[in-house]
Amino acid sequence: MFRFRFFAIFITLSHLVFSPLASAAEDPWVILQKTAFAARELNYKGVFVYQNRLDTRSVEIHHMNNGGRELTRNVVLAGQQPRQVFSEGADIVIFSPKNDKVHIEKRRGQNLFPAMLPTDLTLIKHNYSAKLGTTEIIAGRATQIVELLPNDAFRYSYKIWADIEFGLMAKVAMVDQKNEVLEQIWFNDLNMMNNQDLNWFQPKIDLTKKYVMEEETAKHSDKTTAQQHWQVADLPPGYRKIDQIERVVPGKPHLVNQLIFSDGIASVSLFIEPVAKGARPKIGHTNVGNTNMCAHVVDGYQVTVVGEVPAATVQQISKSVTFKK
Amino acid sequence: MMKEQLSALIDGEIGLDDAKHVMTSLKVGEMKDAWRQYHFIGDALRGEYFASHDITDKIMSAISQEPTVLAPYSSAPQVEHETAVAAKMVTAFGNTRLWSAAASVAAVMFVGVMLLQNQTAPNDVLTPVQLAQELPMEYLAAHQSAAPSSVSYYIQPASFNQPAVAK
Repeated sequence: MFRFRFFAIFITLSHLVFSPLASAAEDPWVILQKTAFAARELNYKGVFVYQNRLDTRSVEIHHMNNGGRELTRNVVLAGQQPRQVFSEGADIVIFSPKNDKVHIEKRRGQNLFPAMLPTDLTLIKHNYSAKLGTTEIIAGRATQIVELLPNDAFRYSYKIWADIEFGLMAKVAMVDQKNEVLEQIWFNDLNMMNNQDLNWFQPKIDLTKKYVMEEETAKHSDKTTAQQHWQVADLPPGYRKIDQIERVVPGKPHLVNQLIFSDGIASVSLFIEPVAKGARPKIGHTNVGNTNMCAHVVDGYQVTVVGEVPAATVQQISKSVTFKK
Repeated sequence: MMKEQLSALIDGEIGLDDAKHVMTSLKVGEMKDAWRQYHFIGDALRGEYFASHDITDKIMSAISQEPTVLAPYSSAPQVEHETAVAAKMVTAFGNTRLWSAAASVAAVMFVGVMLLQNQTAPNDVLTPVQLAQELPMEYLAAHQSAAPSSVSYYIQPASFNQPAVAK
């Protein structure tokens, strides 16, 4: 109960701080702020559907804030061998059955649905305007629609259905410039959990299978610009570098540099590697589902850009890389 | 003999270092005939003749033309291992001989393609290939696993999942 009370107080305060003039229900940013916190503060379970132009999946989710520890279990309800994803804070462990083995992968920090909005909305506010839409019923709950409209052509727009009572993101859709929905995620079933029972926070183990821990394939790179052969200038407006890693990519003889850029909600990866001897370099642009990719070759380096962003964005990022002679 | 070793190479029973002579013999042409002989099976495996040909028949007839190996090179533990692997293959594919033929075809194809690539492109500059023709799914997976705001990584279709470590 304490958590709920604390949360209520926080929301009240945030109304006062962020919107002293407008009433709470009318300021879309206040709703989004509440949505960002609700996903992390509340205890809930349900089933959501993920859909892009290629694929539809159902996922069962449990989320609990256990005295500040944020615990989540996602089970992908597909096939006879469901993938189980556990997270505690930013640490994510994925149990992925493949044939007679279960691969255990470790990952770090992703803002997974319904916590897709960061709690700090500054960058998003810089790149999008928020507009209040109509109300709709999602999974039996009254929701308020808020649209994030991009300030330029380097990002898509997002439509967010926020639970009016709890603030939780009940649905989100990513929409392109032609008003086509590229990706959407929505709750089919959503309930609050009133206890702190943690029995669900453990993987279902199949004793007939071999469990294999995947080797670490990526590490954070702390190389400075001076230590690198390349530099990135002239990014599309509003994108910031949020991470840089060196990773193993299947089939590549060298470690690949991966730089990740974000505008607050959309993200793009830039991969840089020397063109491997005997390998045909890749060039051009393509689109897979909700993702744009482009590649080109500069001074013997393969540059590849991948992101759930418009084609113009991946293209400009690929051209922003220059190599020192 | 060589074909069996190619098979063993694919099954992971001998290492690449132990199989260098296999590569060498490919280069000098001893195995090139075998490669040509199996080329049609390779086409079939790639799906090019799926509509009009029965792969099984072709593979089985290719096997029947192959001499029986009376003196396997492998030592006892390897035989044991092979038996275990074979048992798994029977479960998985229903026919061990079929699988092992497919493996040697795959091996010949694999090495053959490498050979061709080396022949046609001795050094650095190769013609670039269009991204759309050879989708870099490994980059898509790498992006999704590290991007901060994505639900797609863990719910993606299994075919997007590349092995985590390059072999």
